[in-house]
Amino acid sequence: MFEYQWRTVLAYWPDYLHAAVLALQITVVGFLLAFVIASAAALARNSRSAILRFVATCYVEAIRNTPVLLQIFIVYFALPSFGIRLSAVTAGTIALGVNVGAYLTEVLRAGISSVGKGQLEAAQVLGLSSRTVLLNVVAPQALRNVYPALVNNLIQVLLGTSLLSAIAVPEITGVATVVNARTLLFVQVFGIAVALYLVLSYGLSAVAALVERLSFKSPASRRARKRTSAPSLTGASS
Amino acid sequence: MTTATPNTTTIGRDIQLSGVSKRFGDVEVLKDVNLNVDDGEVVVLIGASGSGKSTLLRIMSGLETSTTGEVVVGGVPMHEPKRAPEIRGHVGMVFQQFNLFPHLDALGNVTLALRKVYKMTKAEADAKGMAVLARVGMDDRAHHQPSQLSGGQQQRVAIARALAVDPRIIFFDEATSALDPELVGEVTAVMRSLADDGMTMVVVTHEMGFARRTADRVLFMADGVIAEQGPPEELFGNPQHPRTVQFLSKIAEA
Amino acid sequence: MNVSLIWQSLPFLWTGFLMTLALAAVSIAGSTVLGLAVAALRTSRPPLLRGLGRAYVELFRGSPIPITLLFVYFGAALYLGYGVNLFVAAAVGLSVYHSAFIAEIIRSGIEAVPVGQHEAAQILGLKPTQSFRWVVLPQTVRIAVPPLVGQYISLIKDTSIASIIGLAEMMKVGQSIVDRTGDPVSIYLTVAVLYFIVCYPLSLWVTRTQRRAI
Repeated sequence: MFEYQWRTVLAYWPDYLHAAVLALQITVVGFLLAFVIASAAALARNSRSAILRFVATCYVEAIRNTPVLLQIFIVYFALPSFGIRLSAVTAGTIALGVNVGAYLTEVLRAGISSVGKGQLEAAQVLGLSSRTVLLNVVAPQALRNVYPALVNNLIQVLLGTSLLSAIAVPEITGVATVVNARTLLFVQVFGIAVALYLVLSYGLSAVAALVERLSFKSPASRRARKRTSAPSLTGASS
Repeated sequence: MTTATPNTTTIGRDIQLSGVSKRFGDVEVLKDVNLNVDDGEVVVLIGASGSGKSTLLRIMSGLETSTTGEVVVGGVPMHEPKRAPEIRGHVGMVFQQFNLFPHLDALGNVTLALRKVYKMTKAEADAKGMAVLARVGMDDRAHHQPSQLSGGQQQRVAIARALAVDPRIIFFDEATSALDPELVGEVTAVMRSLADDGMTMVVVTHEMGFARRTADRVLFMADGVIAEQGPPEELFGNPQHPRTVQFLSKIAEA
Repeated sequence: MNVSLIWQSLPFLWTGFLMTLALAAVSIAGSTVLGLAVAALRTSRPPLLRGLGRAYVELFRGSPIPITLLFVYFGAALYLGYGVNLFVAAAVGLSVYHSAFIAEIIRSGIEAVPVGQHEAAQILGLKPTQSFRWVVLPQTVRIAVPPLVGQYISLIKDTSIASIIGLAEMMKVGQSIVDRTGDPVSIYLTVAVLYFIVCYPLSLWVTRTQRRAI
């Protein structure tokens, strides 16, 4: 009986597969968009222009203090009132990109400030232009220092695609809901969906780790963290 | 573990170590250490970092267990895992990093064990706490938070906290090493007065002046063994072991 | 921007707002209690319990909330028949999901308390439970409160996801109004403002406390 249930649901594997591929595509494009937005916003927040700082701060705070689902709805349902009519997938990707971009802004800002002042001074003394300093001195180190946080946010985009089911994007959660409606085998249906998300996120993390190893020599994620030993609530320590 | 009020315990004030060794993974930090500390004796351990002196102290106080050997503290066989916890609450330890509880004021730090382990009422605990704080000269700051106290003051509160439970023996693990030089004196003065009152003390320190003045016996440790021991005048005045000579001359240079 | 529409919708949005707050409050309580339990698992000695805790955390942090919510909802629907209380289902789903994150926050708080504190407590004769209750926990709370509040802010925003199972919280109410009146701009922006005025003060508090901690 149990086996029958699994076989029934697994028969939908093509739908799940297409959904997974779509989710992956949205994740990658959405993250790239988020990164571009975040880079601009991070620089804006560090700039000397008060207007730029204000605009960037408004963006970050508005996004971080309102629900993602609402932002998705606004992009998909409210923009048409201004003549911008987007497909569900495009709207979803943009909404996710804008959303994660706000969180990435803070990550990049932290990364930029983590690059020691001494570096900037040394670069200045060497006569490097600020553009060179930014691209060749600050950016590589900033990115290396906050790499784990970057990967975290990439996973967040992936998990965010799940909400796009609300605007009828045929990604994993959307497909699962349909299959569940047809079979009522919610354990298997959503179990497979969860498994897909886990596989995709571990896959993305693995790829990210590979990229990190190839690009940087001493990745932040590999620096040993000294952990103090924790007691157990049941009195099992020492 | 006893719930008797302080002073009515049957735990002794002496220590016997025989054949004690301690291994951390591949590294043998202590090798066959034998030591007796008598009731009321003040024993000072000196030596370079890595000589094993702190580890020895932590084994005696129960924070670590020995790999081999017999460790008897106040009559409690610490090398027997089932009986080792009997020592808790009956010996005191003063740490290099003070380890005061940051969320409690000085009086709170001192009385916590009195209230929770000995089940004293707040009034009883506060009375004893104030008495013990007065002993170390910190009663006027009983309601200060640790963050509001200087290093020397914090360490004195830490000593008071250890004293509050009427310990049979007090262990000092580099109690003054984290203090600014001008604050060391107030702490060693308190330690000296405890010694004068007959407290059994085992002290790991770099303060040679303290060792000279207050120790009954000084032990020089090197590479996990007690290389040499004796009364301070002898050890400092006429060191026999080459490592002792080397160590003391380096200290003199500094 | 249709102001009169917004004005007319406010009473409905207000009901939704109250539902959002109620759901958030219950879920905050639930997730914190669950989170404490899982943190206990994560810091216990038996490897089996630790592994269980780890699996729990990895599972819920790696799954999207909608799936957890739908799983709880359909599970309840199947086993309890069609009398499923949407509020309860949403509260359970949100609590379980966020408990995974809260467990990690609490665990970090526990582990951030220096070893010396445990040692000092042990030497003084405090039993492990006493040491945890009077020495470690107060310090854990101090460290963990700002990140916990941050997590609660996320929880408040995530109540909007309960709209997908039909609970009439603020998001769903807004949707219904838009479906009826066809003015997404006014309504959704109003809803956004409502979420903002709840979350922003909390965010400010968190940033301020964390800056002081540094």
